[in-house]
Amino acid sequence: MNTVAIVFAAEFERRVRSRAFVFGTVIGAVSIALIAFLPAMVGNFAGASKTLVLVGEPRLTSTAAQLLARDFTIAASVPRLPQSPKDYLDAHKKVTAVAVLARARDGLRVETYTRNPGELRGTLATDLVPLQVGLTTGVQPETIAAHTRVTIDEHDVSGRFSNATQAIEAKGIAYVFVMLLYLAILLNAQSIVGAVAEEKTSRIAELLVASIDTAQLLLAKVLAATASGFIQLALWIGTAALAARAVGDFFNDNAPAASASAGVGLGVTPTEVLWFVLFFVLGFIQYAVLFAAAGSLVNRSEDTSSISGPLYIPIVGAIVIAQFALQYPNAPNAVVLSFVPLLSPFVMFTRVVVSTVPVWQLVTSIALNVVTAVALAWAAGRVYRLGMLLYGRVPTPRQIVAALRQR
Amino acid sequence: MGSLVLSGVARSFGNVTAVRDVSFEVPAGTTFGLLGPNGAGKTTTMRMILGILPPDRGTVTWNGAPIDLHVRRRFGYLPEERGLYAKVKVRDHIAYFGRLHGVEPPDDKAGADQWIERLGLGEYANRRCGELSKGNQQKVQIACAALHHPELLILDEPFSGLDPVNAETLLDALRALREAGTTLILSSHQMWQIEDLCERFCIIAHGTVRASGTLTELRSGWPTRVVKVEPPSPALRAVIDAVPGARELPSPERLLVYEVPVSTDSASLLRALVAADAVTRFERVEPRLADIYVRATENAE
Repeated sequence: MNTVAIVFAAEFERRVRSRAFVFGTVIGAVSIALIAFLPAMVGNFAGASKTLVLVGEPRLTSTAAQLLARDFTIAASVPRLPQSPKDYLDAHKKVTAVAVLARARDGLRVETYTRNPGELRGTLATDLVPLQVGLTTGVQPETIAAHTRVTIDEHDVSGRFSNATQAIEAKGIAYVFVMLLYLAILLNAQSIVGAVAEEKTSRIAELLVASIDTAQLLLAKVLAATASGFIQLALWIGTAALAARAVGDFFNDNAPAASASAGVGLGVTPTEVLWFVLFFVLGFIQYAVLFAAAGSLVNRSEDTSSISGPLYIPIVGAIVIAQFALQYPNAPNAVVLSFVPLLSPFVMFTRVVVSTVPVWQLVTSIALNVVTAVALAWAAGRVYRLGMLLYGRVPTPRQIVAALRQR
Repeated sequence: MGSLVLSGVARSFGNVTAVRDVSFEVPAGTTFGLLGPNGAGKTTTMRMILGILPPDRGTVTWNGAPIDLHVRRRFGYLPEERGLYAKVKVRDHIAYFGRLHGVEPPDDKAGADQWIERLGLGEYANRRCGELSKGNQQKVQIACAALHHPELLILDEPFSGLDPVNAETLLDALRALREAGTTLILSSHQMWQIEDLCERFCIIAHGTVRASGTLTELRSGWPTRVVKVEPPSPALRAVIDAVPGARELPSPERLLVYEVPVSTDSASLLRALVAADAVTRFERVEPRLADIYVRATENAE
């Protein structure tokens, strides 16, 4: 039996049976389910709670009720309130706001009484524009409303998306997958550092190094971490898909957020999954070898954070740049950064899901990632060998350079 | 089976020279004691034999060829510091290291069971290594090092942390390995165990070899012997005092204890003593390994 396979199997078993993995996977799945449910629940509650009472002359309030029906539930339209707006709202907890409508010299004047100022302002202003224009011009508000609805058909000239909904869904998918990659690296990074540091501090490393080449040892450990990370991710994605379907069923697609969740969970294409798997493996391996090398430099558990801390910087940088690429996938900055190893698994994946990326860019990015993964594995193997057998102190930069040059 | 040869091996760590110049040969099937005070370079020498550390200078060969990974996998190693996966069960742990050294399933588990029984670890077979006492962890690690019937087994302080009963169990296991043809190299500060077990020795200090060979060879270079005579009568004392170079040593017992030159003929001395008075005890004591060790490593601590 190949020694890499032996170490891989043992390492993989240790990882997936560890409490950290089990808890991390369960907590991650529960969090994903909550994240899927929460927007829908909040959206549903928010939709139900946007209830208005309109106060004013009947002609104004009846027209306003028609215009506002798209975004609000109109509980009542009355000429005047029987009590002060504060007392009325205190007595009617389900009413979000009282809107008092009145004619003014320049059209319409609206006063709102609410528990949460600012919440309704924008929507009210937009919805009541036809009434305002109608009062100042004499044209029927219904006519104005009919003419202010603009139908926009967006066409993707690259042929990537057949409609705007697809493009929006793709952004959602890219966002979710990038966050999953981020979470997977973040959660596994610490366990990789911890496992390697444990082998070093307990001197198991000496036994391993005596029977297996350090490069093979590192490779086996990184592959095991990648495999367990991938399984964790698959479980999370499965949970997300099930949660999205459950959200759709539970809220019967009433809430827009539920629909969005369901779209993200169930509308993923095989091509997107393929890109994700590819960039996940490339990205995870690059970070895993770096964290394993960092773990080999740890002499005391207290040093773990300070030694591995700097490696989190490119991860955080990548997630920030990926958010930018989500909005502007073909901006020069996004294009350039999608070639930079360690960043490109996030950035190029985002670009490839939300836009049409030229084949040469894709091939170059993947090639650079593969070359970088191999180079990092080689260099990390040298550092790993040096670090694993150097007790009591962290190697100096000169020692690391010497280890890299050693034939 | 081959022999292990170290020729002019040296290794430094930065400005610290751990091994300056070490050469010795361990014939196949031999049990070899590598002795020296703390910091003498024993562990570094062992690591160089195992290929964990490359020597800066000199060569290490097994059966005439450099030691590569394939050869190393036929070796076994028990490091001084205990290295076990705390959360892995004893049986699985031993079998894992067997597999790493080329033992295929199901022989890995079967071999693990044999060693568990041999070392009296039966009740702990399905316990996690981290739950075991230091002595039992030590035994698990010995099983890990020996499961694959290594050609060469290197044990760095194998008796440390073991009580007398467990130390005897380990000695039995090592004797069994020796009978099976395994070449053993071990370091220990328990001189009586080393002396009892090993056929050849190498004493190093400050990274250099101070003495090496069989116990007989080491003793041959020792300049004096101790003689014990009873009763401590004035007549007998006078006979020994007349031996050139003789020096009386303090003794808590009621007998005469003298250090005499190695060239002193014991038979002639005994005849002279018997002629002088009634002798109830005459004993010529060979130097112990501990004595040779202390003299060889003087000023090395």
